[in-house]
Amino acid sequence: MHHSVLSPMGPEAARIAELSWLLFLGGAAIFLLVMLLLALALGGGPGVRRRLGARRAILAGGVAFPVLVLSALLVHTLGVAAALGLGEPAPLRIEVTGRQYWWEVRYPDREVVTANEIHIPVGRAVELLVDSGDVIHSFWVPSLHGKIDMIPGRVNRRRFSLDRPGVLRGQCAEFCGTQHALMAFFVVAEEEAEFERWLERLRAPVAKPEEPFLAQGWQAFGQAGCGACHAVRGTPWAGRSGPDLTLLGGRLSLAAGTLDNHLATLAGWIAGPQDIKPGNRMPAFNTVLDGPELRAVAAWLESLR
Amino acid sequence: MATETETRRAPGGGAGKDGVRPADRPEQERWRLHRMLAELRDDAGDLAEHLLLHWRLILGLVVAAGFGALAFAWSGLYSVAATAGHYPLFRYFLAYGLRQSVETHTISISVPSNLEDPALLRRGAGHYQGGCSPCHGAPGQARNPITRRMLPEPPYLAPRIADWGPAQLFWIVKHGIKYAGMPAWVAPAREDEVWAVVAFLQRLPELDVPGYRQLAHGETAEATTGAGEGLDLLLLNGPVGNGIAACARCHGAAGAGDPTGAFPRLQGQTEDYLFAALQAYALGTRPSGIMQPVAAELNEAEMRLLARHYAGQGGPALAAPEPASGASLALGRRIALEGLPERGIAACAGCHSPKPEGVHPYYPRLSGQVPGYIAGQLELWMRGVRGGKHEAPTARIMAHAIGIDPDRPPAREDLWPLRRQEIEAVAAWYAADPPTGPAPALAER
Repeated sequence: MHHSVLSPMGPEAARIAELSWLLFLGGAAIFLLVMLLLALALGGGPGVRRRLGARRAILAGGVAFPVLVLSALLVHTLGVAAALGLGEPAPLRIEVTGRQYWWEVRYPDREVVTANEIHIPVGRAVELLVDSGDVIHSFWVPSLHGKIDMIPGRVNRRRFSLDRPGVLRGQCAEFCGTQHALMAFFVVAEEEAEFERWLERLRAPVAKPEEPFLAQGWQAFGQAGCGACHAVRGTPWAGRSGPDLTLLGGRLSLAAGTLDNHLATLAGWIAGPQDIKPGNRMPAFNTVLDGPELRAVAAWLESLR
Repeated sequence: MATETETRRAPGGGAGKDGVRPADRPEQERWRLHRMLAELRDDAGDLAEHLLLHWRLILGLVVAAGFGALAFAWSGLYSVAATAGHYPLFRYFLAYGLRQSVETHTISISVPSNLEDPALLRRGAGHYQGGCSPCHGAPGQARNPITRRMLPEPPYLAPRIADWGPAQLFWIVKHGIKYAGMPAWVAPAREDEVWAVVAFLQRLPELDVPGYRQLAHGETAEATTGAGEGLDLLLLNGPVGNGIAACARCHGAAGAGDPTGAFPRLQGQTEDYLFAALQAYALGTRPSGIMQPVAAELNEAEMRLLARHYAGQGGPALAAPEPASGASLALGRRIALEGLPERGIAACAGCHSPKPEGVHPYYPRLSGQVPGYIAGQLELWMRGVRGGKHEAPTARIMAHAIGIDPDRPPAREDLWPLRRQEIEAVAAWYAADPPTGPAPALAER
């Protein structure tokens, strides 16, 4: 998994990584130079010390050098930043809305909605549009691009692409409430064909399962009212205040990077989400669903892959 | 000292009178004021001087008075018997203190504008019959002879209502009166219920016996006990007979609610839900000063029987007192079926409307429910009165579903996730939705 500025997965991230290296190395070089001058000033011969203390040396090292270096860096950074905003026309559009404490992901041209996981085909230009449904969040996938603020009532855009397949971790980078730390997500970079297959699965309507245990899960899911907040594609449940659950079983994590995704964690989450991630919007269903129902609901949701 | 000041200032005053500016009235007034203030200052100075001179004497007097009072209490000569009454002077003093206390404490209470609402009146009357009339009596009902021997004797209220304004009645009903045997409201958070009692109290002086019975007993006003209530009720008329009678006064024997919309419809709810509600009321976890005293009288078996009785009833919904506008119904329909995701409001229908998988037995059915009840309960959630940490977990599910953190409810009405108009719209839409039949028995779950 990639979660570092120094492990770039695409050309945009690579430019940011180059800039980072330039700053690290340049900073280190200047630091060494200053230390060298300090050593000379303390221990050098009288001639060296006189030259270091001369008005000309102070003007050159204290005024001219920083002004030149910082101005050059500014021009270079602005150039990099400007180049990052450019991209090929007609890219794949992905909309992400930050919510306390999860991420709604939409592919408007492909008419699908998902949550907490963004699939991106390798080599395709992507336009990312982010906003927020409540407070200010910040979308940050260090191996993908810089931080992008998510501001209520404003859409911020970035263009980027990814060079190679892999999983990138993202994190909310603007304090947004008690569970800010547990507001992560994953970007899955995959080959074009695999991406299309994923979209196909996401678009396929979910039918009522035949298997009795899973059918019990379907029944309990509806009866407990889960569909008031959650949507599952092709079912009567179309709630939009919580994450879309289509293909939930195939996701890399539960509750926005909080838990590993398997039957036990899912059942535990449904029973007591406030014990795991206090202050999130999901209420506990441990009294509404009994043990077998809880397991059945979790099993049915895990079967959606 | 005072005379000295006076003589010193007098020439100044005289100069004003017959000097350069004759008959300058404000000037004169000012002089007089100055003189008065100076005298007052001098008097206060004299007093302080005396106190300082004789402080031992004064302290001695105060201590002696304290010991005297203690000795009087110790001797037990004062009779605390209710039969002994109060000395007339002391009685006037207490009455004066009571009046002043109530007036001072009600300065900032604003009176709601809906006190004429028939539903509020009926709700207040229903509670008055069960909670107040034993001590205070009612048209056609004498006060309990035992409570009449209290001191002070609880007054028959009708002729006394005019002495107080609505805010003062509210304060007395909510807080009770110290040392007078007047209890405080059982659920202090339910100010809406207290106002219902105030609405009724204001009407009380005009009521005759049939008028009162109509308000306080609803559909059971004319019925003789047990008649026309069906076999079911007749069977119940053992230990639960009293329970049913108390329920029926407000909710009707078949749980159809009340034509004014004062009380919720109980028909068609599940036995599980009604039983849980009765338990929550009895324990006070679901706060209600009207329901708690009634529910707390029941034991578990009686609660079961009552829940089963009302869950088994069916019938059409009562017509809403005021039909809602088309726009309001459309807004209510949208909220009920789709929710308001941008504000974290889930679709109400997800839990409260009939669907193929069935509605969970712990969730109330809202189709055909009285609109005032739905709106009132939503308001309680918005204000954080419901969904608190002591209430059943389903009440917390509801809080989350309407965008409220039950541990940190909105501080002000303009922060409510649902606006008042939207609350009324969704209540109106559910009220107009045809109700489902009797709920399936518990055994089916």
